[in-house]
Amino acid sequence: MNALGIIFSDMQDWSMTELASHRSVAAIPFGGRYRLIDFPLSNMVNSGINKIYLITSSNYRSLMEHVGSGKDWDLSRKKGGILMIPPYSAGENHGLYKGRLDALKRVLDYIKFSKRNYVVLSDSDMIYDINYNKVIQYHEEKNSDITAVYIKTDINKSDSIHKILYEFDEDGRADDILVYPVTSGNYNIGLNTWVMNKEFLESLIYDAIARNYKDFSFDVLSARVHSLRIYGYEYTGFFAHIDSLQSYYENSMKLLNMDTLQNIFYSNTGPIYTKTKDTAPAKYCKDAVVKNSLIANGCIIEGTVENSILFRDVRVGKNAVVKNSIIMQHGRISDNAKLDYIITDTYTFVNKDRVLLGYSNCPFFIKKNSVV
Amino acid sequence: MKLAKKECVVMLLAGGQGSRLGALTTKIAKPSVPFGGKYRIIDFALSNCVNSGLDTIGVLTQYQPLILNSYIGDGKSWDLDRMYGGIQILPPYQRVGDSEWYLGTANSIFQNTNFIDQYSPEYVLILSGDHIYKMDYSLMIDFHKRMDADCTISVIDVPIKEASRFGILSSDDSGRIIDFEEKPKRPKSTQASMGIYVFKWNKLKKYLEIDDKNPDSSNDFGKDVIPLMLRSNEKLYAYKFKGYWKDVGTIDSLWQANMDLLGENGFELSEDWIIYSRHAEKPPHYVGKNALINNSLVSEGAVILGNVENSVIFSGVVIEENALVKDSVIMADVKINKNCIINYSIIDEMVTIGANLKIGKPKGENSEITVIPRESVINKMQEE
Repeated sequence: MNALGIIFSDMQDWSMTELASHRSVAAIPFGGRYRLIDFPLSNMVNSGINKIYLITSSNYRSLMEHVGSGKDWDLSRKKGGILMIPPYSAGENHGLYKGRLDALKRVLDYIKFSKRNYVVLSDSDMIYDINYNKVIQYHEEKNSDITAVYIKTDINKSDSIHKILYEFDEDGRADDILVYPVTSGNYNIGLNTWVMNKEFLESLIYDAIARNYKDFSFDVLSARVHSLRIYGYEYTGFFAHIDSLQSYYENSMKLLNMDTLQNIFYSNTGPIYTKTKDTAPAKYCKDAVVKNSLIANGCIIEGTVENSILFRDVRVGKNAVVKNSIIMQHGRISDNAKLDYIITDTYTFVNKDRVLLGYSNCPFFIKKNSVV
Repeated sequence: MKLAKKECVVMLLAGGQGSRLGALTTKIAKPSVPFGGKYRIIDFALSNCVNSGLDTIGVLTQYQPLILNSYIGDGKSWDLDRMYGGIQILPPYQRVGDSEWYLGTANSIFQNTNFIDQYSPEYVLILSGDHIYKMDYSLMIDFHKRMDADCTISVIDVPIKEASRFGILSSDDSGRIIDFEEKPKRPKSTQASMGIYVFKWNKLKKYLEIDDKNPDSSNDFGKDVIPLMLRSNEKLYAYKFKGYWKDVGTIDSLWQANMDLLGENGFELSEDWIIYSRHAEKPPHYVGKNALINNSLVSEGAVILGNVENSVIFSGVVIEENALVKDSVIMADVKINKNCIINYSIIDEMVTIGANLKIGKPKGENSEITVIPRESVINKMQEE
């Protein structure tokens, strides 16, 4: 396909301190064996985009390790492929990227080199399943400058502060764009995914340099909503925005619904690719009891697991009970331990007989490498 | 063209039909028969190679190679997509003067003399693609070098009752082989050949040429080449292997080897000797609210809503509510509908079993394993 993909790994203006304290948002583990980056990356690959820039600002080691050469997404190739672009100091540009627009300015050369006609920009904190070809087609039909993908849904005040809301006229052209408002109701929420003609993006970047603009949402979308032709493309499938520990927990638990699972992982768009680890199938021992759970390969279960997600290579010991919890990869839950509403980050070790409790609207988080 | 020299080239015999696996191998070669929830049999030999530091592998194919070819691809699943060496599929090919199918294991190597010569190796390791085991071949090659052997055969101790099924050899205290018999009626020892040989390439080449000129030869390593080398007083050594090793050439042994993955006393798949395979991109498996899974192996992409006991469930399998799967091996993308009862069966890939059916007889002394071939759709109860 004639499009260049640009994925921002961590351009959120807020922080998810717990999950992203030592990794970029794009590298947050999700769904038992994936990381958030796998979703936009697979969407792009499944749409035929095979040239992708991954713009990453800080804490990108685990992301680099995950993406590697890109071969797990079929992106290790002579033509196209994936390129990770961390900040690079030269002249007046130094330090971390200060927003999407600043990042785009500083990778302008790479954008110019690319011979593709379109650019698809995406963040990494949204999970959805889309064929970008359709967005590009719509973009052409409307002859728009920027086409923003949105979903129409209900939000409350705590959700809205991390979202961009669009209002459209009858033709579908944006006439108002609110960035991070405090509001509730039924709104058109941006999926932080935009399609542009590459030449137009270049002109936006030149303009941003001339005016010292740094923020794409405020300085371009919101400020220029009337001078630019910004159109919305409506998306109607499964959507999750991971912007807090609570939303991480709730959206993870949605995967325990068969229909949701089907929609995300077996859609017509194509599979979700991820780094393969070659772990053996999960092993259920004689007294294992597992109900309503998602279990990745490499797990060995001797105890009880209910309403939970176990990532790769998790052990649940004898008489241990894991309920309503998310255990990330390499977690060890020893004999007789009891966990309810707990999220353990990777390589957590829970000793024998420990009892850990959280609550449904306040799951308890245990840091990477912790020993409880 | 002379390629970069490789110390050891691996030749993996994958051309056999595996007729004793019956319905499982009507469309695919034995090495590509699925095993252990997510693997194919050949993954074990290939992963052993990679884990032993061997990266130049020729795979000899002849019978039904299509699934095997596409499964292996460019070898990247086993890290065998290399600049030099890597994995290559070697079917029989036409030459000036003569062209024939591979006539026997030794003949298949003889026909690929030029392939091996490209790498000018010191040693050639011959493997079969139909065994389940974890083995560090580099230790065997070290032993071969230490003994300055012309041929080293890997052996495993088998019960005397079963010894007549194998190539049985006797060796002196130093390990030098003094006698070799293929499937003897009265075995003289319990050391069975595992069909794994290390040869000095120049020696092997010489004997393959002699063997090829002998019109009475069946061109087989065990029957012809090894006895010939022994008669010619070459230095043949036995390398003792300890650990799990299973020939999965029959339905019973294939079933048993799958079952050995369960529990604690069989064969452990662990992180310290990874078995690589090519996977389908599937999410973790989902276990339903009323499911019950005991003593089983379940792979990614499966959806288990019913009951599973003492079984191996491959990726993408769906087991509907109130279905029971017991003592069985259910291969990839099989769908088992509601209220089915599956006992003591091997169900091959992409089979659909309609609701309320009973497949197989409960495991007992006289019951036999039921095999359902690939892509079957079963909607009616089978005749007794």
